[in-house]
Amino acid sequence: MFNERIMQRFVNPKYAGGLRGANGTGRCGNSECGDLIKLYISVNDDNVITDAKFKAYGGVCTIVACDVACGLIEGRSLEAALRTNYYQILEEMGAVPENREYTASLAEEAIKNAIEDYYKKKEKELKR
Amino acid sequence: MSCVKGCKMAKKVYLDYASTTYVSSEVLNEMLPCFNAIYGNANSLHSFGREASSIVDRARDRIRNAIGAAKSNEIYFTSGGTEANNWALRGLAHAYSEKGKHIIVSSIEHKSVLDACACLEEEGFEVSYLSVDKNGLVNLGELIHLIRKDTILISIMAVNNEIGTIQNVKAIAKIAHDYGVIFHTDACQAVGAIKLNVQDMEIDAMSISGHKVYGPKGVGALYVKEGIRIENLIYGGSQERGKRGGTVNVAEVAGFGKAVEIANRDIVINQQKLRSVREYFLNAVKERIEYVEVNGHQMQKVNGILNLFIEMVDKESLLMLLDLEGVAVSAGSACTSNSIEQSHVLKAIGCDDERANSSLRFSFGKNTTKQDLDFAVDALVKSVEKLRSISALTKAGRR
Repeated sequence: MFNERIMQRFVNPKYAGGLRGANGTGRCGNSECGDLIKLYISVNDDNVITDAKFKAYGGVCTIVACDVACGLIEGRSLEAALRTNYYQILEEMGAVPENREYTASLAEEAIKNAIEDYYKKKEKELKR
Repeated sequence: MSCVKGCKMAKKVYLDYASTTYVSSEVLNEMLPCFNAIYGNANSLHSFGREASSIVDRARDRIRNAIGAAKSNEIYFTSGGTEANNWALRGLAHAYSEKGKHIIVSSIEHKSVLDACACLEEEGFEVSYLSVDKNGLVNLGELIHLIRKDTILISIMAVNNEIGTIQNVKAIAKIAHDYGVIFHTDACQAVGAIKLNVQDMEIDAMSISGHKVYGPKGVGALYVKEGIRIENLIYGGSQERGKRGGTVNVAEVAGFGKAVEIANRDIVINQQKLRSVREYFLNAVKERIEYVEVNGHQMQKVNGILNLFIEMVDKESLLMLLDLEGVAVSAGSACTSNSIEQSHVLKAIGCDDERANSSLRFSFGKNTTKQDLDFAVDALVKSVEKLRSISALTKAGRR
């Protein structure tokens, strides 16, 4: 049902878990729909994402899409990370069953929400 | 376990007996001669045919005995439970359509009943879906309320395949007959799990299947009480009294008959064993994993099925991790679990979406051992811990 690459990543997700000192958190989905994602980023003063982690309640592809998304944005500037999209995530995952392709767009949304959250926090900090 | 070359073979535990079972050796021995020794066409007049025909007759008699039917010719062999359910719903509905076009089924029926109903609705029939309570039992008061003058058929499953709840079939049949309505029951999960007697339980039509009771796949039967009309299913032969044409699959039918006979013969001992298996497993799980609840009825259910809500983990992820650990379970009915569609049964008993998304079915067989259960519980503990450690749901967020 799932390709080897997906299964490998599902069993050993590199970026799963919480992130101490995260300064941006992106939430998306909800448990009623079967997927809830929290994507954490740690951004340095040069606007580079130094760390990315996720926690997810969802199926195999949801977990893998989050793991792929974290891998795609870690080490990149916020500007570059914002350009990460659904297609890049899907491509990294390999062949994805059609009814699970939505997980890539959830992961994309989580990235955008995490970056937005970072900017909001930053703005608050500056206003203080 | 080790293979012939001396390499270690990973242990595997099958806890999905409600999906299907292996073919028992007694059944297999009954079937084997029918492939090459007794190979005549059961409808041929010569001795080869008569020999095959006697095997088919014996299988029919065995099923008649096991389900308490009055006559063997009330049993029609089919390709399985799905065909039997389709035939019952469509065949009975069309046969009685001059009397009315209203049918009542429960909302937790198998897809083969629900989808046949959807098809009938397109053909102009009207179907009422009877709700169930949190235990999965239909409300008899609501049933009476739903019956109309033009109601021709009530179909309610004897045992639910996902949560194992046993319906009060006899009471439902009585109500149906009080209002002059035909009663059909899908008993695919009931054979070998509860005592069935179609005469005593006043059942007019009943579907059963071979592969749930250590028989072969691809064979089942529809019991239709004498005097009840049903439209023909397959044209083009006199087999099954002209109602379902096609050369009888003698080997499968022989195995099916034997399997049902054994299931009925060993029902008490098997159920005693399955009850202790289920209790041992449930106690071990509850002892080692927090936030686990049983879905469905606590008492009025078959012993082989246990549906568990395991909080904060997704059923698909858990199923896949368990599979990698060598434990096979089900995320519901095998007929629907390939899709991400949610279980209509869990929704019908009032589980919210999150609970339905976090529930798995464990089903046990007569050869499930304590070692198997210990192995499965270890794998479950490991997998649940792993998924909860990365779950976006937290204990603080629990209801």
